[in-house]
Amino acid sequence: MNLTKIHLSRRQALGVAAGGALGAVALRFGLDEIGPTTAATVSAGGWPSPLGTQRAMAAHLLRRAGFAFSQADLDTAAALSYDDLVDHVVSQKPAPLPLPADLTNHNQVAAAWYSHMVTTSAQFPERMTLFWHGVLTSDYRNAARLPFVYQQNVLYRKAGLSDLRSLLASVTTDPLMMRYLNLDASTAAAPNENYARELMELFTLGPGNYSEADVREAARALSGLRIQLVDSTGARIAAPRYAKANAQAYADEVNALVRSGATFRGALVARVHDSGTKTFLGRTGNLGPDDVIDIVLAQPACAPFVTRRAMTFFATPNPSSADVNAVATQFRANKYDVATLMRAIFRSSAFTSPTNYRSLLRSPTDYMVSTMRVLNRPQLATGAVRAGAGMDQVLYAPPNVAGWPSNAGWVSSSTLLARINFATTALAHGTTLPDTAAAVRTHLDGVLGRDTTAALGAAKTPSDRWFALLASPEFQLK
Amino acid sequence: MSVTRRDFLAAGLVGAASGVMVPPVFAKGVFAAGIEGIHNDRVLVVLQLAGGNDGLNTVVPYADPAYLSARPTVGVRPDAVLHIDSSVGLNPALKGMKSLYDGGQVAIVQGVGYENPTYSHFENLYVWEYADPQRAQTDGWLGKLLGSQIDSQGHPLSACALGETSTPPELRAPTATVSVIDSITGYTVRGGATRQATAPALYRTTPGIYGVLFDQALSTAESGMKTLAAGASAYTPAAQYAVAGATQAANSLGAALQLTAQMIVTEPSVKICHVVLSGFDTHQAESTRQTALLTEVDAAVSAFMTDLTAHGQADRVVLMTWSEFGRRINENGSQGTDHGAAAPLFIVGKPVTGGLYGEQPSLTSTIDSGNLKYTVDFRSVYQTLIRDWLQGDPAAILGASYPELPIIRVA
Repeated sequence: MNLTKIHLSRRQALGVAAGGALGAVALRFGLDEIGPTTAATVSAGGWPSPLGTQRAMAAHLLRRAGFAFSQADLDTAAALSYDDLVDHVVSQKPAPLPLPADLTNHNQVAAAWYSHMVTTSAQFPERMTLFWHGVLTSDYRNAARLPFVYQQNVLYRKAGLSDLRSLLASVTTDPLMMRYLNLDASTAAAPNENYARELMELFTLGPGNYSEADVREAARALSGLRIQLVDSTGARIAAPRYAKANAQAYADEVNALVRSGATFRGALVARVHDSGTKTFLGRTGNLGPDDVIDIVLAQPACAPFVTRRAMTFFATPNPSSADVNAVATQFRANKYDVATLMRAIFRSSAFTSPTNYRSLLRSPTDYMVSTMRVLNRPQLATGAVRAGAGMDQVLYAPPNVAGWPSNAGWVSSSTLLARINFATTALAHGTTLPDTAAAVRTHLDGVLGRDTTAALGAAKTPSDRWFALLASPEFQLK
Repeated sequence: MSVTRRDFLAAGLVGAASGVMVPPVFAKGVFAAGIEGIHNDRVLVVLQLAGGNDGLNTVVPYADPAYLSARPTVGVRPDAVLHIDSSVGLNPALKGMKSLYDGGQVAIVQGVGYENPTYSHFENLYVWEYADPQRAQTDGWLGKLLGSQIDSQGHPLSACALGETSTPPELRAPTATVSVIDSITGYTVRGGATRQATAPALYRTTPGIYGVLFDQALSTAESGMKTLAAGASAYTPAAQYAVAGATQAANSLGAALQLTAQMIVTEPSVKICHVVLSGFDTHQAESTRQTALLTEVDAAVSAFMTDLTAHGQADRVVLMTWSEFGRRINENGSQGTDHGAAAPLFIVGKPVTGGLYGEQPSLTSTIDSGNLKYTVDFRSVYQTLIRDWLQGDPAAILGASYPELPIIRVA
């Protein structure tokens, strides 16, 4: 799962060398109308870093803990000290996802989520939901005619802000995950190893921290989970039966059930569960799913592994082991509390260092949501669901169980063109455009490279100026 | 080769230290001029079967009683197998492949793998993509070849990933130029002449750790788009790529290989192409799913060969398949199979000497509690293709020498 990072680190290193050579000479500090930036530090890769000021630090945090923001948002945030702002951001409560018309239609759910990411003021919970969607990932193709994508989205928004134990426990009985990694068909007679392996390799420990025997034993302990429908009191109820002839009635019934509070979730069925003795990561007994999670969480590799994934997503493309361990220690000591993890990341020097400016590359979702936010055009959400394909990110259709690429892994000749074309699409809708000079200050901190400065200067219309801003390398970064 | 990548990197670092601005296009020119590598018109097409294709159900050891006893529900019935010889045969979905085999154009390499395998998708992908079971290399094996032995810098289309949007890891290397083209119509800057001029101009001298990556991606796209626009000449597919009655989604490989044929027919600089079909991780309901996938592979590869022949290009193209692993010998309880080890692969084309290569691994003398022991190191396949087909230097890419397979018929 670290493939992207590993195979690109060399390239990034080369980029630092060449970019440094070019950048130091090539940079111009902003547009004339903005005035010079007073940055004293140059980030690792050559952008002049504005992170010495409270306002720039606020922008840096908002951009990474949420998506793009308005000037008013920034004004409010910059009035707080950085530490207070971190507390404020991390304590945001999630706003519920507005329900799409058909909860069983993954495209409608994805569009509802895009729209929500654009419009909600509770930005941090959406960013966390997106993070967990990429780590504990699943694929919509396992949810035909069922509301599983919707349910997982709701689950990650809620449990994703709790603690890792609660999150993993609920993920292990989440119907989309159960289908995706075949828990729902694993029996005592022939356990399916898929979930057991990926739980350790990709979700919690990383390769090298367990044996093939541990995979087999964990698969036994996890056998026998089956998807059941329960009502809002938790009592099991009969699931509607699908038939081709009454597909619409079936969809209506499923939608009505979910709207009334019914949920599909996994339950251990004794008849197909292996209740024999297992030995897993050194513990022996009649182990079940909860034991597997507890034992995994007790491994020393767990906190650093999850922390590294979070830091790669939120802080810096290649965090040092020292930086990871410093955060992981707090995460583990505080019972894997997600808020503790995130506060520690946002306060770590790996995050706040001036040299860390623009070290992350916006994912396609981040890029599209940010574009819709700066233009105030949430109505593009349905188009974003489609446009994601060209940029390599269709929500709930990750390339594989390792989840989404990160940073440099998003870049190819094809994906960059798709991003640029999305800017054109976004600008084709609506008539009034916000002021570009103010946008350059708010969204790009006034820090522009030579090429973008020239393109903005040469642009003749507001639409062309906005195109230069949205298609620029600066706007792809954060 | 007179300029190594190390020299190139060193030059870049000296440039950085002295503060002299070297335009990237100039740096590329210097590097390109130093290439003394592969100069021929041969093309290698790499078809990745992502997810771990079940080798035992692809090339079926139908005569071995251990096969069906290990796979009572997932196994292919012996009477349905397309017989290759008295012990193995092809999955019934591979009718076109069988016909190509009968025509002497398919090498089936059995038991391909490596020593001490891992059972993780991602570790195995790393092993195959970087040609390194130690998983320490940082460049893809084809990326290395492109960067050191193929003059890709001035030719944006020498390496193409087709029908996909991200750069495949095996093509990645700092000095490799790769065009990723999902579709030709989508490979464009929309919105008119101003936008078409502005977009590449935004990515000439980008600072920062992503600067080179960004600028190279967009300059590759820019020159690729120009080349494609200029060469938008004669290509009409001469074969039916789609599986009859299949939806568009179930024809992604056909579309990708048709695009590959178009690139080969119309763009002489095309050297290495990558296409991928995903979905082979058949832990569950394997028979239905793998049959559908192999049917798509069969239709697409057959059409590709027919098309190349009709366009007079078949003599200069070889296609290889690979997958990160084969699957467990015993089926699991979900009518599927879990991650396994060694598996067969196909090398297809007119320049190939058809037949069976390597040995079918034993179903009873196994490794790691029920997995196949490899009989051919996958790097033997790479070495054969680099030296005998592309006429490159495999040692510089693989770091060691492996026994070659006498698969390539032409000198």
